[in-house]
Amino acid sequence: MKIRNHLGTLVIIFVFAFISACHSGDTGKKSSNQTDTIKPEQKGTSAQASIKNTIPGKTGENSKTNSEEAKADLPVVFIYNFHVTNRCPTCIAIEEATTKTLNTYFSSELKLGRIKRQVLNVDDKVNNLISEKYQAFGSGLFVTRIFKGKETTTDLTGDGFKFAKNKEDKFIEILKSKISEYLK
Amino acid sequence: MKTASLFFTIFIFSGLLTFGQKLGDTIISNDSTKLRVKVLYFHITDRCNTCKSIEANLRKTIFENFQFQLDNGTLGLSIQNCELPRNAALVKKYDAYGATLAVTLYKNGKELQSEDLSNWAFQKVPKPEVFIAELKSKINELLKN
Repeated sequence: MKIRNHLGTLVIIFVFAFISACHSGDTGKKSSNQTDTIKPEQKGTSAQASIKNTIPGKTGENSKTNSEEAKADLPVVFIYNFHVTNRCPTCIAIEEATTKTLNTYFSSELKLGRIKRQVLNVDDKVNNLISEKYQAFGSGLFVTRIFKGKETTTDLTGDGFKFAKNKEDKFIEILKSKISEYLK
Repeated sequence: MKTASLFFTIFIFSGLLTFGQKLGDTIISNDSTKLRVKVLYFHITDRCNTCKSIEANLRKTIFENFQFQLDNGTLGLSIQNCELPRNAALVKKYDAYGATLAVTLYKNGKELQSEDLSNWAFQKVPKPEVFIAELKSKINELLKN
């Protein structure tokens, strides 16, 4: 009887430890699945209104919009937050800090359409074209300037992973500085 | 009483398992006086696949190409969790508040300069062969100094 009790205890410990080990190794499951190409939380904001014209994957529309913007007198800045379906805390932090930067410092540019921002799931095949263009196969943050037909891109993914989660102020400063430079 | 001790055992056991995975630092520094190049990689506790892939590519680069330099102490490797309090000073020094890859140059046991390769690493990680070739070249270049 005693042996049976001990055996039962050991089985419970094993099962519990196995579940615990699986849980700590799979951080992606902590975040929600997202398949939308545009975050629902952006609905109703100026950012959402301005990016409606440039839904990715619709190549014709996208290139048309880009070429239209290129004809304008002022540069237009595109900001792309790429992510996979199962997101890690840093990836989420990058998106949140980007939103914070845009809402805090560039709300008028968003309203005017001089900044267009997209949050894209690279696992969604509708985003294949744009993901390939930016070579974004996982989390990524790209800032692109389009002016007089010339396109310039800065990859801020590394800075995002370095600072967005634990040093948000620094990340915001880097992003703000790049956007300001590209708006000139 | 029996149930309480059972739960206590489970708690301790699962805690050990969890921390065992999160504290997997790797620090290889065989002889600090001979050190010429140190490669540092910092990561957070809850890691994504990209961050893990960078570490895997880094390990492959080092262990497949620089085992001799690791053994004789001219090359050092440090892979650490930047969110652990014990690494706070290093984190501040290398501005490594998240996934960060850096290479540093040493002479006579003193650190001369450090280069941040984080943006490069995130750009190249989807192509492991490019990542490994370029990092290998970078380390070789630094070892010549």
